[in-house]
Amino acid sequence: MGFFQDLAFGFSIALLPVNLLYAFVGVVLGTLVGVLPGLGPVATISILLPVTFTLEPQQAMIMLAGIYYGAQYGGSTTAILVNLPGESSSVVTTIDGYQMARKGEAGLALATAALASFFAGTVSTFIIALAAPALAEVALKFGPADYCSLLVFGLVGAVILAHGSVVKAIGMILIGMLIGTIGIDVNTSVPRFTFGIPQFGDGIDFAVIAMGIFGIGETIANLTQGEEQRGRVAGALRLWPSWRDLRAIFPPSVRGTMLGAALGVLPGGGPVLASFSAYALEKRLARQPERFGKGAIEGVAAPEAANNAAAQTSFIPLLTLGLPSNAVMALMIGALMMHGLHPGPQLMRDKPELFWGLIASMWVGNLMLVVLNLPLVGLWARLLAIPYRFLYPGILLICCIGVYSINNSALDVVIASLFGLFGYGLQRLRCEPAPLLLGFILGPLIEENLRRALLISHGDAAVFIERPISATFLALTVALVVVLAAPTIRGARERAFNEG
Amino acid sequence: MTIRNSSDLLTATLFLAFGGGVLLYNGTHYSIGTLARMGAGCYPMLLCLGLIAMGGILMVQALIDPDEAVDAIDIRPVALLVLATLLFGLLIEHAGLLASSMMLVLAARFADRDAALAESAVLAAALTGIATGLFWYALGLPFSLLPF
Repeated sequence: MGFFQDLAFGFSIALLPVNLLYAFVGVVLGTLVGVLPGLGPVATISILLPVTFTLEPQQAMIMLAGIYYGAQYGGSTTAILVNLPGESSSVVTTIDGYQMARKGEAGLALATAALASFFAGTVSTFIIALAAPALAEVALKFGPADYCSLLVFGLVGAVILAHGSVVKAIGMILIGMLIGTIGIDVNTSVPRFTFGIPQFGDGIDFAVIAMGIFGIGETIANLTQGEEQRGRVAGALRLWPSWRDLRAIFPPSVRGTMLGAALGVLPGGGPVLASFSAYALEKRLARQPERFGKGAIEGVAAPEAANNAAAQTSFIPLLTLGLPSNAVMALMIGALMMHGLHPGPQLMRDKPELFWGLIASMWVGNLMLVVLNLPLVGLWARLLAIPYRFLYPGILLICCIGVYSINNSALDVVIASLFGLFGYGLQRLRCEPAPLLLGFILGPLIEENLRRALLISHGDAAVFIERPISATFLALTVALVVVLAAPTIRGARERAFNEG
Repeated sequence: MTIRNSSDLLTATLFLAFGGGVLLYNGTHYSIGTLARMGAGCYPMLLCLGLIAMGGILMVQALIDPDEAVDAIDIRPVALLVLATLLFGLLIEHAGLLASSMMLVLAARFADRDAALAESAVLAAALTGIATGLFWYALGLPFSLLPF
């Protein structure tokens, strides 16, 4: 009863013409950046943050979410047509998708990807609508100590499950948290690290850092790597799958959806991990695993279903716990905060129209993607021909104007450009910048809850292990670090012994 | 054992320098307080200690088992792109949107060694036009277009 009422309420919001318009703008933009390599959803959402400031929070979230899952669609289009994954989550799709295209089945591969994604999107919309209220209910019982431990768990988990060095990633989180302390300390009113600049009193704007690191920094990195190789569209486009094809697509789509939905909820999970796992699972289950890599239709359906399911279920921890599970979700928190909203269990109660409207709009957006993108495939493929040398000055210009427009502050532009340089440096040091952003967003929340918890317990730090919820999260955090750090330490030691 | 300019070693140095520097500034400027009533400096201090610890671990890792060296950086695109955005920041309030956009695009194009002057000029004019149309005209953001 309640479930269907809530969903119906959501659809009544999502189907408002203005919301349809922003969902449409979001998915088209998302597809566009998904198609263009070198411009991902993280950079795009960072660049558009200031623009969303002028919108209602509901419309801003609907548009940004559209960009996120639209990018998954666009990314797979180029993966299939020209063997160039527009997004990291569609890397796996290139393996069998491009082989299908070379066999002249490009249209079928695209339709498979679209249908599998749409199926996954539909199922995950229901999963979110079912799971989120229950989780939010639990989360409302959390005390400051529990919340603090949950945030630490989320931060560490998000980092460790992503690729790269664990130690570097934790260092990046800490730097992000330190940057987050800039500004007037809420508890003591002491201005921290403001160096006498009044504008720093409110801290550095989240969008300034995000645009500096992801917009400007990645542009620098792309440019120094030189022009990317571009391919050609192969094969005629027979779009519609036959009945036999549909029967071949269905089981892998179901498995991919389930796996993706589960992995999307985990901190650090998200579309990339989901698509790789789903492909591996299909290959293991297949009766003729040697078909994989030679244009197996399951190899397109499963990862595409998985990455879309994961992209959507990663909204669950964001909307119910206020916990971003990846960089895009961190940007979403930033967008909500810019509108003075705090994501978390209260969101569903205080802003039901935003919560349910967003969930329903995901399904609407997915439908738009299927209807729009199949006819537009040719156009998207042609966009790949735009040389990067025409694109990057435009990207930089939009970044700078965007940063300036947040506060009409030239200082912000200077800060963003320094963060761009910093972001490029991090890339060269093989430090991923996303954890820094997560730390920057969650750091102030952790500090607030840490101080509140200790104030209540009169300075007794044991409160974090005495409360069962908090203790569970801390134990999980420790276990995660130990399990994942152990092999690298052991590996390094063995190598050292061998050399000696 | 040879010490290379490995990315781990450089990152470790960054962590240690950043953590140490902030720790020093924090310690001399803000009070630590007690656990029950933390001063402004307590939480940053904890973060710095964590960062220094990570730097230490990474340093040991780098000395035992150095990873790949960081290649030389091509200074030209890096410097020109940063310069382009800095220029925009410095010019926007005095020279207006049109001039600062043109400057940004031109400077950014010169990051590319093969940039042709005429093509860059056309691109600068086109992008400035699009940006002005989008942000100033359509979105109505309060920029001044020309210096005054």
